[in-house]
Amino acid sequence: MEERFDCIIVGGGIAGLSAAMLLARAGKRFLLIERGEFCGSKNVSGGVLWGTDLERLVPGYWEMEGGFDRFVNHRRLSFMDPGSCFSVDFKSDHFDQPPYQGVTVLRARFDQWLAEQVEAVIEAGPMAEESFLATNVLVEELLQEDGRVVGIRAGEEEFYANTVILAEGVNNLLTRQIGLEAEYVPADHVAVGVKEVISFDRKVLEDRFQLRGRSGLTNEFVGACSEGVDGGGFLYTNESSVSIGLVLGMADLRDKGLAPYDVLNTFKAHPAVADMLQGGEVVEYSAHVVSTGDIRGMPSEIYADGVMVAGEAAHLLLNAGKAIQGMDFAMRSGMLAAETAIAANDAGDFSAARLKDYRTALDASYVMQDMRSFQDAVHLLHSPAMHEKVPNVICDFGRQFFTVRNEPTPKAAKMMRTAIKRHASYWELVKLGAKAARAL
Amino acid sequence: MKALSVSERLGLVAYRNQGRSEAKPHIEVDTSICNGGCPHKCTTYVCPAKCYTLDEKGDVHFQFEDCIECGTCLYACDQGAVTWKFPDPEVGRGVNWNLG
Repeated sequence: MEERFDCIIVGGGIAGLSAAMLLARAGKRFLLIERGEFCGSKNVSGGVLWGTDLERLVPGYWEMEGGFDRFVNHRRLSFMDPGSCFSVDFKSDHFDQPPYQGVTVLRARFDQWLAEQVEAVIEAGPMAEESFLATNVLVEELLQEDGRVVGIRAGEEEFYANTVILAEGVNNLLTRQIGLEAEYVPADHVAVGVKEVISFDRKVLEDRFQLRGRSGLTNEFVGACSEGVDGGGFLYTNESSVSIGLVLGMADLRDKGLAPYDVLNTFKAHPAVADMLQGGEVVEYSAHVVSTGDIRGMPSEIYADGVMVAGEAAHLLLNAGKAIQGMDFAMRSGMLAAETAIAANDAGDFSAARLKDYRTALDASYVMQDMRSFQDAVHLLHSPAMHEKVPNVICDFGRQFFTVRNEPTPKAAKMMRTAIKRHASYWELVKLGAKAARAL
Repeated sequence: MKALSVSERLGLVAYRNQGRSEAKPHIEVDTSICNGGCPHKCTTYVCPAKCYTLDEKGDVHFQFEDCIECGTCLYACDQGAVTWKFPDPEVGRGVNWNLG
């Protein structure tokens, strides 16, 4: 067996490349295999990469050419009914200092840049001739011996390694092959994301969205944007474009008989959204399955003999109403899997008992802590009240509150009672409010 | 802004091996299951690339050429009609995102 790597990583997305970066830094002999023409060419996200882990992975990233599109210093959450849009808007200069708290990315650009950073570290290290990022190669099968994962098969070629990190994305066929996930995963814990990238003249974009330098806006939407389907919308500013899209609960979409591209047209035609998009040109349409963040959708386990599962292949994602976190979870889980692979290599032990350290580290990290503590918020956000009644009540209240009629004006509390009566029941909202107070 | 149709949207997608006259399918659909009593035929509307269509008789047809590898049908079909693999880089179809 001439080709035995310390580690093989399947997938050149954020989880895989983050793992690769740590293995390269540790001077390990590894192979990363990406099926696309280049890293990022098969990848779609909304997308915002939240948090500061990117600084750990690529120190000083904000001063480098390429990579991210804009850093986030302006956040907006909008509740919609068919004609109105009521927003909570927060902009703060504490977001302005690097390392930034979140960056917007276009994955074909970002992942390719991240791959270049990994290659630079490989080249500067002891394994410059023996570690590779191989693109255009499809891993068709995991190789097993006595129930242990020992390598991969791509076409006629077989490659062996001490550990394999599966960072294959949400459609985790290899994770299914070894039984960590059932062969058929039902629609209940996944959503379908559809998105357009709409191009603008950079100056027009910056003036319209009040952007300065590389600052950016993120706007999430709930309510009429999804035509009553469980889910919500997003709009993120890139360097000279916006990413606009929807994430729609798949089971609910199926039950309601709606097509995602039609719902996207409805969202874009909403007066508040249409005003933001006018004059732009659609330059790409994309779609991807997204995990809902329901912990019950995770694989039965994320490690076994010789193998670990990272990123969305492990269904690591959370939307608890504050931010849609997937890429940062991918980054952290990829790093933790690599750390476990490195320690396993040094100890010469690649058993499940050893690789359980990855699970333990992920459980102790913010990834699993947040996924666990915000499960109630996930369920609340996916409840019918949240994408229908609540936005309707809020917008109804907004229409009353912000309208001046030159006639005696009711107090705000009365306006709220009127709005609630029209769209929901008082007790329903009290119960929901109490749930939200505990869940968020 | 004018609303775009699915075909206008797919016209913006870069596909791999577009020059090949015949690409190897990466998804196989047993349409006899779809047309033999599926209660929803949901792939014909949930697929974001409209790879599944209904003819005038109400029968489901599938073509893989427009597939953007999102995975929706892999989950949405609960009747066991869809066999889903990733496209072969050399002889398959599939996407090549410019932006992603």
